[in-house]
Amino acid sequence: MVMNVMLDVDRMAASGVAGQPIVSLRGVAKHFPGVIANQDVDFDLLPGEIHALLGENGAGKSTLMNILTGIYRPDLGEIIIDGKAVTFASPVEAIAAGIGMVHQHFKLVKAFTVAENIHLGWSETPGRISKALLEARTAEIAASLNLAVKPGARVSDLSTGEQQRVEILRVLSRKARVLILDEPTAVLTPAEASELFKALRQFAARGNAVIFISHKLDEVLEISDRVTVLRGGRKVATRPTSECDKRGLARLMVGQEVVLSNMRERKPGAKPISDAPVLSLRNVSARDDLGNMCLKNVTLDLRAGEILGIAGVAGNGQKELSQVLTGVRRAASGEIRVCGKDLSSRGAEEFAAFGIGHIPEDRLHSGLAPALSITDNVVIREYGKAPLSQGWVYRPSAAAALARSIAEAASVSVPDFRMPVRNLSGGNQQRLVARREMRIASNLLVAAYPSRGLDVGAINAMMGYFTELRDAGVGVLFVSEELEELFKLSDRIAVMFHGEVMGVVDSSEVDIETIGLMMGGQRRLEAGSAEGIS
Amino acid sequence: MSIRIQRVPSENVAGGIAARLIAILLALLVAAIVFAISGADLGKLGSHVFKSTFGSRFGLMDLGLIVTPLILTGLAVTVAMKVGAWNIGAEGQFCAGAIAATAVALFVPGPTIVVLPLMFVAGAVGGMLWILIPTLARAYADVSELITTLLLNFVGALFIYYLATGPWLDPSGLSFAATKRLPHDVPSFWGDVHWGLPIAVLLTISLAGVLNYTRWGYEVRIAGSNPAAARYAAIPFRRHLIVVMLMSGAIAGLAGMFEVIGTTHRLQGGISNNFGYIGIMVAVLARGSAIGVIAGAALMAVILKSGIALQTQGVNISTVLALTGLILFFTAIGDELSHYRIVRSKPA
Repeated sequence: MVMNVMLDVDRMAASGVAGQPIVSLRGVAKHFPGVIANQDVDFDLLPGEIHALLGENGAGKSTLMNILTGIYRPDLGEIIIDGKAVTFASPVEAIAAGIGMVHQHFKLVKAFTVAENIHLGWSETPGRISKALLEARTAEIAASLNLAVKPGARVSDLSTGEQQRVEILRVLSRKARVLILDEPTAVLTPAEASELFKALRQFAARGNAVIFISHKLDEVLEISDRVTVLRGGRKVATRPTSECDKRGLARLMVGQEVVLSNMRERKPGAKPISDAPVLSLRNVSARDDLGNMCLKNVTLDLRAGEILGIAGVAGNGQKELSQVLTGVRRAASGEIRVCGKDLSSRGAEEFAAFGIGHIPEDRLHSGLAPALSITDNVVIREYGKAPLSQGWVYRPSAAAALARSIAEAASVSVPDFRMPVRNLSGGNQQRLVARREMRIASNLLVAAYPSRGLDVGAINAMMGYFTELRDAGVGVLFVSEELEELFKLSDRIAVMFHGEVMGVVDSSEVDIETIGLMMGGQRRLEAGSAEGIS
Repeated sequence: MSIRIQRVPSENVAGGIAARLIAILLALLVAAIVFAISGADLGKLGSHVFKSTFGSRFGLMDLGLIVTPLILTGLAVTVAMKVGAWNIGAEGQFCAGAIAATAVALFVPGPTIVVLPLMFVAGAVGGMLWILIPTLARAYADVSELITTLLLNFVGALFIYYLATGPWLDPSGLSFAATKRLPHDVPSFWGDVHWGLPIAVLLTISLAGVLNYTRWGYEVRIAGSNPAAARYAAIPFRRHLIVVMLMSGAIAGLAGMFEVIGTTHRLQGGISNNFGYIGIMVAVLARGSAIGVIAGAALMAVILKSGIALQTQGVNISTVLALTGLILFFTAIGDELSHYRIVRSKPA
């Protein structure tokens, strides 16, 4: 072990990177019931670098960072800070050692102001406080760190990007030298993300270091100096980013060549696209939860054996469209026909009974009951049918058998089906939801942002599921904000803007720029399928 | 070889029983130490407590009488928890059930065989009416049932005082805060212990069966755990919420009914004896399991009865309450520990 450390440091000195690592992890292991979260992980963080930590969901990134920030204690291995081995009994000690983390889900008190959040639980907060004093101190710290925040603003009034800046400021104000960011761009607009990158580079340039957790390859290549890839809890490689490319990183991450090819090709024997639409919408309008018109006169056709992509910046009516199409939300006006049958005024039960599966946008909030068992969750579509129910009798043993077969089809290994579904990783939850919905989707599958928050492996599994359905003659409505994904999979793409369909285009005949313009609100009237839009 | 302790998501049954037994023994040990320090005669106290609980026919009968309302109020709270509602108002529904049953006993003439079923129905309906407003407020206006059910407890308790000292006061003048002795009784099957006990146990077992082995039970589980998921799966959340909350009120009302016609035989102030509140503790001890309610109620009954026995031996009420808390505390730790297991593994 000691030899290894020497060798590593020697190599770094030889390669000309600045001296001693701020943080070294040596042979770190952490086990949870039935899961090896980390095993034999060595990791060095050098002053001045932005070090990306890349891996699929469940690869052990978060666990490793929780060890480094004192939330977990490693089962084996050591943490070395500035050349000295340390043990953190709590996050407070890690903060004192200069390690701070910005979590994916912010840990701010929403009802407090920015200044109050910055000073909360901080030993340097003055004993006698006043609003003016706290805000002045906050402004001063913010100015010294070159992060623009509004000290007097209430956190609940801030945009996500601004809230993140407050989180970063809070960490840095505690004299952090190591800043860990967990999927920081997941919640940001592109403009906010480039703001963030600029701030990170300035921070690193002062001799500090950043650990940047992500599974987005593009931004890892853009922001980082070195990349460490984790897979299955183990470290696969650490490389300078300059020597990496997207394909190579993806391979390291999932352990196999990623199929980036066109998935629009049909397998031989696939059912052809039908002539009659399996789903048709005529002038459908709907209101959102606040009563605002969020869908305006939407007219769309989807045929069996076809994948129709729905593109658009999130929040332009896609969520409500998927809800209207599955009966979860009633349309205010217009007509929805499935296989010729008018379902306009029906509820979720009739839609499901009519062979429409639904992968909802927020699976944890509406697709699953997080606290209930895996079995309870995966049988939610079939609990009322034989063999799970006979009359009013429900048979837990039959439910458990169905749960096992769904988990097997989803290739999710479940140690205990009585375990709450929230204990599974996001990717595994989504695989189970997708497989559950595919079983009832005999006519149509509506998938809202199915790959959001998932890693490459799980996204590929999702895409594979959709082509499988398509080839079996099911219509798939696929909502996404990733254009690449839409092009890869969809036969046609409809673009939504402010609740209206800007046009429907054939994905083999259109380029990304055109779609981009439509997403910005430009209509495409000449497209054949867009008739009926006024 | 390293040995670690792991938390497991589902309870380890054998370990669970062992952990709880150890917890109770530890609590008793701590209690014994406290008594020894304060100079009490441990042997005498112990034998007295034992004699007034398990050690005598009267002790066992008392336990049977105390455990009956606790099973029902614990079940009421547990059932409401299944649909995601906190029924803190079992105390008030208990009072309402007792009042309704008393009204039938006092004002409906007829033979016991006819009036008794009427009292049973009245008790359930009384409890149901008491939770009706909180239920509708929660279902249609999203008003927290936690507050509304709690506040109605005071209304129920004070209403009993009003009736028992005013319009329904015993005309014989022998008691000043109770009705006359009610003309009908729930039959007893062993000494003073009436048929309320087996009925409560049976009700608990059948409800556990309904919750686990019917489609309705499954739907209630989903609706209670995540209303949005219920909406997504076309499960009528509001209907289940209303039905289950009314059921919860009815069960608590039955507790009051049995207490008044089986145990006290008069409606009197303070009849609820905090059984409604202790039902919350029973439900928490039972961890959402309907069957667990029986065990939780039994434990609470022993604790309550021991407390009464200690008080008759001159131990003051604060000490008794502290002991009660201690035992609950240790049992809760035992509960938590039953979710851990020891894992031996070779270092990788």
